[in-house]
Amino acid sequence: MKTNQISFWIAAIALVAMISSCSKKETTNTVKPVIPPSHPISAGNISGFIKGTLLTGSTYTVTADVYVKAGDTLLAQPGAIVVVKNNSQFIIQGVFQSMGSQAAPVSFNSDSNTPGTWGGFACDSAQAVTIQWTKILNTGGPDNTGSARRTLVVSAPIKVDLEDNWIENGQDDGLGLFGGCSITVLRNTIQSGGSTDGEAINIKTGAKGVVAYNVVFSQAGTGTKLETASVVTTAETNVDVYNNTYVSCGWRRGAAEPGRGVSAGVSARGNIYNNIIVNCYHGIEIFQDADVANVKYGNNLFYSTANTFVDATVTPNLIVDLRSGYYPAGAAGVPQSSDLISTAVGNNDPMFTSFDNGFLYVNGAPNSNDFHLKSGSPAIGKGNTSFTLANPSLAGGAAPDADMGAYPTDGKGNKH
Amino acid sequence: MRKFYLLISLISCFFYASAQTPSIRGKVYDMATNSTLPGAVVQLDGTGKQTVTDANGNFQFTGIEPGSHTIKIRFIGFDEIEKKVDVSADRTTTINIPLSTKANDLKEVSVFGSVNKESDEASRATEKNSNNLLNVVGAQAMQKSPDINAANVLQRVSGVTIQRNAGGDDAFAIIRGLEPRYNNVLVNGVSIASPDSKTRLVSLSVVPSDLLEKIEVNKTLLPEMEGDAIGGTVNMIFKDAADQRQFSVSSSIGYEQLFIDRKFLDFSKADIHTYSPSEMYGASYIAQPNDFTRSNLDFKSIQPPPSETFTFSYGDRFFNKKLGFIIGDTYQNNYFGSDVEGENGNADPKDPDHRPRANDIYNRSISSREILNNLIAHLDYKINDRNKIVLDNVLLYSRLEEASITADTSITGGNGGRTIPGTGPVSGIDQSSTTNQLIENLKLSGNHILGNHFKFDWYGAFSDAFARTPDQADINTNILITYDPATGTFTKTPEYFDEIDRVWAHNNDQDYDGAGNLTYKTTFGNAVLELKAGGLYRHKTRYNSEDEYILRPVANANGEKAEFTNIYDAQWTVYNPLGAGTFNINNYNLLENITTYYGQFKLSFPRLDIFGGVRSESTTQQVRIRADITNANGVDKDYTDILPSISFKYKLNDITNLRLAYFASIARPAFFELVPNNPPNSNGTVTKGNPDLLHTTANNYDLRYELFPKPDEQFFVGVYYKDLTNPIEYAYEGNSNAAVVYEPINAPSAKVAGAELAYTRFFGNIGISGNYAYNYSDVNALKVDRNNPSVNVYEHRMLVGASVHDLNVSLLYRNKKAGINAQLAYQYLGKTLVGIYPDNGDNYIQQPMSTLAFSADKTIGKHFAVFTKLNNLLNTHTTVVLHNFQNGNEVTKATYLFGIRYNY
Repeated sequence: MKTNQISFWIAAIALVAMISSCSKKETTNTVKPVIPPSHPISAGNISGFIKGTLLTGSTYTVTADVYVKAGDTLLAQPGAIVVVKNNSQFIIQGVFQSMGSQAAPVSFNSDSNTPGTWGGFACDSAQAVTIQWTKILNTGGPDNTGSARRTLVVSAPIKVDLEDNWIENGQDDGLGLFGGCSITVLRNTIQSGGSTDGEAINIKTGAKGVVAYNVVFSQAGTGTKLETASVVTTAETNVDVYNNTYVSCGWRRGAAEPGRGVSAGVSARGNIYNNIIVNCYHGIEIFQDADVANVKYGNNLFYSTANTFVDATVTPNLIVDLRSGYYPAGAAGVPQSSDLISTAVGNNDPMFTSFDNGFLYVNGAPNSNDFHLKSGSPAIGKGNTSFTLANPSLAGGAAPDADMGAYPTDGKGNKH
Repeated sequence: MRKFYLLISLISCFFYASAQTPSIRGKVYDMATNSTLPGAVVQLDGTGKQTVTDANGNFQFTGIEPGSHTIKIRFIGFDEIEKKVDVSADRTTTINIPLSTKANDLKEVSVFGSVNKESDEASRATEKNSNNLLNVVGAQAMQKSPDINAANVLQRVSGVTIQRNAGGDDAFAIIRGLEPRYNNVLVNGVSIASPDSKTRLVSLSVVPSDLLEKIEVNKTLLPEMEGDAIGGTVNMIFKDAADQRQFSVSSSIGYEQLFIDRKFLDFSKADIHTYSPSEMYGASYIAQPNDFTRSNLDFKSIQPPPSETFTFSYGDRFFNKKLGFIIGDTYQNNYFGSDVEGENGNADPKDPDHRPRANDIYNRSISSREILNNLIAHLDYKINDRNKIVLDNVLLYSRLEEASITADTSITGGNGGRTIPGTGPVSGIDQSSTTNQLIENLKLSGNHILGNHFKFDWYGAFSDAFARTPDQADINTNILITYDPATGTFTKTPEYFDEIDRVWAHNNDQDYDGAGNLTYKTTFGNAVLELKAGGLYRHKTRYNSEDEYILRPVANANGEKAEFTNIYDAQWTVYNPLGAGTFNINNYNLLENITTYYGQFKLSFPRLDIFGGVRSESTTQQVRIRADITNANGVDKDYTDILPSISFKYKLNDITNLRLAYFASIARPAFFELVPNNPPNSNGTVTKGNPDLLHTTANNYDLRYELFPKPDEQFFVGVYYKDLTNPIEYAYEGNSNAAVVYEPINAPSAKVAGAELAYTRFFGNIGISGNYAYNYSDVNALKVDRNNPSVNVYEHRMLVGASVHDLNVSLLYRNKKAGINAQLAYQYLGKTLVGIYPDNGDNYIQQPMSTLAFSADKTIGKHFAVFTKLNNLLNTHTTVVLHNFQNGNEVTKATYLFGIRYNY
């Protein structure tokens, strides 16, 4: 009887399941005309004044500086490939959109594929910049006056949207975001940049926005640096920096100018939460001249795979106590109770999927590590989702996560 | 070289003639005051003999034929006089000759030979008889003063102060609180080309005073004078051929207290490349690490040899005194330096008032060696009493070798600051540079009297200034010093090799000038009318070139910045192997044409002179920079100013003038300020040009009372008011990337007013000479609102360069019998605004300072004198304060100089 009843119920449920699986969700497929790209640019050599569309699957060779005039737009379709020669750069005074996709990223690289061999994107006075799913590699060659060039620089109060990009092997700053621009910097991987100086994400002079779910690996200087200006002449720089993973940053600049995971200085303010900082020279440094009262921070994880780092290239050898550098002495930043701070090797290890435990790599070093969290990582569930964003409208829907770092277990983070 | 000078002195001894009887002896004096007139020229007609009255106004002719002679006496500012003298055999005839002040100054029309223009009496007479407001310092005053160059001389002139850079090799005149940009500098009355890479200025410290006849500071302009002076015009007049043979030679050595207290920092000049790699091998040359020398960055402390100066001049007249010449050379080899410590500061957001506070502390030590060599040549030919041609050439060569070491510690900022004194990130900048500079001014001029009423004078001039700085090299290193409060220990990191900059710069400024003036003179009863019209055309071309290479350290094997041990082991790569090329912001070309015309009148009554007229100055300018495809690469400007002027000189009596003057004048922006450059993509502070910048115009009003109790005494009191339109001020422009950008802009207006007092009086052997200037200035200039940085506000403040109080007092001692002169010179300079802070409420203020100098000379026998010049006896510091902290404290120390002079 009981068995029969059970059988009946099983059969009934199976029947309902069968019927329901037979139903089909409504699908809609609007038939659109094929819209050709505006001003398609033919594959081959490009230079000088350019506007229009860099086409999917086409390869372009930049032979001299490319200018996009104010009012003009340069758009790259998914899969466009751009090879830059002769230390050239893109000077954008109009609109630049590089619209790669996960399946077909856009690529910008030099012909020699070595760090510092082209100029990057000088968007100082651009009208708008959107870069998605794009690889920008090996920038940082000097400009015509001998000054170093950032991979991307913006110095105007415009919207800058940078999502899911790879910025690798530059010789100077990765992103220079200045002049009151509004920034959305999400899910990018910035790695092995800066020869012996340069920050990964350098934000100054009144820029505001969100830096989240980025991975910064082996930057010469600081992972994310917030500053206003040495002369107070702009609004304060005010940025939300959360759910980023900073690994092995700040070593190539030498002990006299140690780099950090995140720093806030010279009248900058912001929110610094949910970041994982591993094997960086210094962790989070809130300088005394920052707008200290308005720099909020917590729920950050600090870890080192060794207790000390020994630099044997100098005489006498230099021994760096790694754990005292999480919140360096003399700065205004202090450990927070919500932080996970490693006290020994193995303690509060974020448990990356793979990591070679390195500290100092050369500029342009390959990165074969995987910074996704293994299950059981102490970073899981320790994120803060309730702090108030300074710039919620610039978060692009990427809210702070309950897990720390760029790869939360809910998959909402970095997609690389 | 010195042997050559010695030879000349020996040869000149053969010309020395001995005395015979009969003779004429006499005394020349001022009829109005009864005081004697030293330096008057006395000519014995027929024999062609000529002499100059001595310090007591006495002269003597010996060995003349008995019978009737004519004596002709000339002195500047007095009517020329001829007197018949009967001389009998075997006795000395004595005469006293009174001179009367010129009812109407004939200086402009006379083509007669020069009288002694170097004496104090001549300076006072020039001031008294001048058509405009003048201050004059003659060669004799300079010789007796503690000063060895034009800049030092000028700082003692009423209403003049000197703007110097740190290190002290540049010195520019600020007149009546108006920056050097508002003043012009002339050599022998002709505008001088500038060797400066950015401005129109010429450093007055490269002009040794030994070869100057006088320096005139013109405080009001007449239509015949160039109109680009709002503060005033400095005219450096070099020695003129006297009416008889003159030979003088002097030499001195000196030392700086600074180099008794510390060593001099030296570097090797042997390997310096004159040209940059791209200049040597072409624009496409890829520079290699070995293209850059190391020895000029290898600094060594040495005990410097003494500073030395050597001057000679020789002048004579030939062919019945028709052809005169003078040639002179002065050489100075000076060692000097300074130590500066100070703090830079910026606003701190935590301070509720947003005022600046110190965030950086620096120490800089500068050691400089400057070699000056000036060569002057003058040739004049009097065709007859109505026509004269003059050729002047002035060559000013200078070479500066400068080493500076700077240690800069962040208190707060970019990479963190210090926690306690003695800690923090320290960046070291060691710099060596050498600059060679050559300025030439060649002038050919003529004076022609055409009939009874007309005179024509003209000049053609070529002025050239060239400067080259080969390989200014900076090496940047950094260290970090930390303190561990737990153990009480300081830890210093290794010194890291950061970067090397190498800059090659050169520029050339060339002027061609042509000018002509026609004067018509006539009399109506007791009135004299002089009408004058003329014009000037100047064609200027200039280029400025700079090439820069950045050398970056080779990372060590681990990829890390390398430790710096010494310059010979440092490994670098050439970051920009093509150099900065034509894109360097200091590369530009400029062309400027100035065309001027004027008409003026002078109406003289016995007691009143009225001057008036109008001048037109048309300026066209063309600036070109590298052809950048998206930014402006040139600017053309064209403007004409009409500059009226009217002035009155009322002679209350023979020794008193009351002057009232109005004139309009202009100031043109510095060359670099017009360049439409884009600031480089760098950190820190940069300055950009502003092609929309307008030239400054001004209305100037002066009132001065002048009293000349005796020929070498004076009492002046005057007031002035100036109303400037479009004064040029620097202001915060914005941020370019991470850099803070400043640019020159026009403030709507500025006002300057002041009072000046000058006084010279002798009481027997003791004299007192002094002047005091009070200056008020106000400009309504743009600033950033410190409480709301996105807003600019206007703020009233004084002008940059202006000092409220400027006092000079000299105590003079002269004993003509003993042949002794001594002088103790004191200067007090009140608060001076030396720099603009971008936010409202604060500026860089130089604190009041007192300086003391001493000089003395003693004649030995008939031809020799020994002298000493001791400067900066109070070891005066130059201290600049921003808000409540010391922005800079520059320590210079006393200098000691001893020398010997021979005059024939």
